[in-house]
Amino acid sequence: MIALDDVSKRYPNGTFALRDVDLRIDSGEFIFLVGASGAGKSTLIRLLIREELATTGHVVVDGEDVGRMPRSRVHRLRRKVGVVFQDFKLLPRKTVAENVAFALIVTGHEGRVVHEETERALSLVGLSARRDHFPSQLSGGEQQRTAIARALVNRPRILIADEPTGNLDPVTSWEIIKLLIRVNELGTTLVMATHNAEIVNALRRRVVHLDHGMVVRDEREGLYAA
Amino acid sequence: MKRVAYVLSAAGQGFWRNPAMSLASTFTVTLMLLLFAFFLTTDRGLQAAVGVLESKVEIALFIDDKAKVSEVLALKARIEADPAVSRVEYVTKEQALKRLQDIADRRKDFVLANIDQNPLPASLEVKLSDARQAKRFGDELRAEIGGGVVADVIDNPQVVDQLLTITRVLSVGGIAILAMMLFVALFVIVNTIRIAVHARRDEIEIMQLVGASDAFVRWPFILEGMLVGALGAVVALSIVFAAAGPVTGAMLDFLVTLPISLGPQFAFQLAASVLGVALLVGAGGATLSVRAHLAK
Repeated sequence: MIALDDVSKRYPNGTFALRDVDLRIDSGEFIFLVGASGAGKSTLIRLLIREELATTGHVVVDGEDVGRMPRSRVHRLRRKVGVVFQDFKLLPRKTVAENVAFALIVTGHEGRVVHEETERALSLVGLSARRDHFPSQLSGGEQQRTAIARALVNRPRILIADEPTGNLDPVTSWEIIKLLIRVNELGTTLVMATHNAEIVNALRRRVVHLDHGMVVRDEREGLYAA
Repeated sequence: MKRVAYVLSAAGQGFWRNPAMSLASTFTVTLMLLLFAFFLTTDRGLQAAVGVLESKVEIALFIDDKAKVSEVLALKARIEADPAVSRVEYVTKEQALKRLQDIADRRKDFVLANIDQNPLPASLEVKLSDARQAKRFGDELRAEIGGGVVADVIDNPQVVDQLLTITRVLSVGGIAILAMMLFVALFVIVNTIRIAVHARRDEIEIMQLVGASDAFVRWPFILEGMLVGALGAVVALSIVFAAAGPVTGAMLDFLVTLPISLGPQFAFQLAASVLGVALLVGAGGATLSVRAHLAK
């Protein structure tokens, strides 16, 4: 599903954000990306959705070499890869339902499909009752669930979550994690970058540990720290 | 439909989100288009004037009374052979007198005294197809004065020459000024759209993140640019058409002397050209602006 072959990312100032990274993530996996700030987690995520290009090596997502993909095909890649961020990135002037429907409308969907898929995504994240609220009227957890619904509404094969619980209290964080586990169980490959040791240690999933741009640990049922 | 509605409403919102900037760029586009319309009209008017005058460019050769008809006919044949000549008419002494009498009959203030002898010379009236050749042609004929056939040469090519010079200067100057205005208008639109893009950068980020195509991201802004252009065109054309009546009225005396017609299609052609240029400038400026943002 995702393969990084000998990937390095060097910025113009000479620093390496990633160095010789080899990583293979199978379809349906749930993996944690851990490591200190600046270890390269966010860079790795940006390579997967082609917000940045690798300096050397190959990044393959769903059978396509992301680095060699022409710009005109990038939007198709992004429809296969949903992304959720720490800061939610919701549009404040749109309601919950409109925020979710937005992802469908701007990818060219029409009419009934927009309505049905939006409702499906909202019910999956448990926000059907809050569909007409604006983001400012929601709790942090509800905002993140809206963002997850938006990321899932195009039925992506992969969901990437970059510190999805970074702004949330422990109880709410667990709600979001449970939701992500459910999404994964429904067949979506899940890659989650996190600093939340409690969650990583409790779940015992695959852990990929980055340090100074290198993979220093890759364990099947890993812990946050070795 | 949702997609179209989204693009349209986003374009409209973009325009009204920053009304001062949008109106400023509409105003600049209006000025540019007014200038464009002015040059288009003046150019067309001058061309029509040149056409009218060209059709009137004639060179008259007065024939020496002593010349033989065979010599006159030989000269006529020679003149007709020149490619710049469209028609040569031989007016005999009798025809010339008849014409004068006809004019006298029509005008009460013109009394023709009885004359026993015809004082008018015979003449060759030469119509030119190419007015620019008038000077050369007149000079050539003038060289034959005193040769026994040509008594005098009357021509008036200066007016046409001057008009042609004015047309040339105006075209070159007009294009230069227009190019500058076009640049200014483009610059203003690029900046207007840049502000619009900036105001919606979060929305654009999310659109790109969820997989909207570049074209989809671009369209609202291109439409907004075209909206600015179209509004500018509407204002400029309103001014032009409102001014058309009074300006024509003021020029009536001139138009009687020189019956210039811009042609029945001109108003339509002018409107279409102005709107076309406006939409192109709007869409072009917006495209430049959004392209620069998306390339980041």
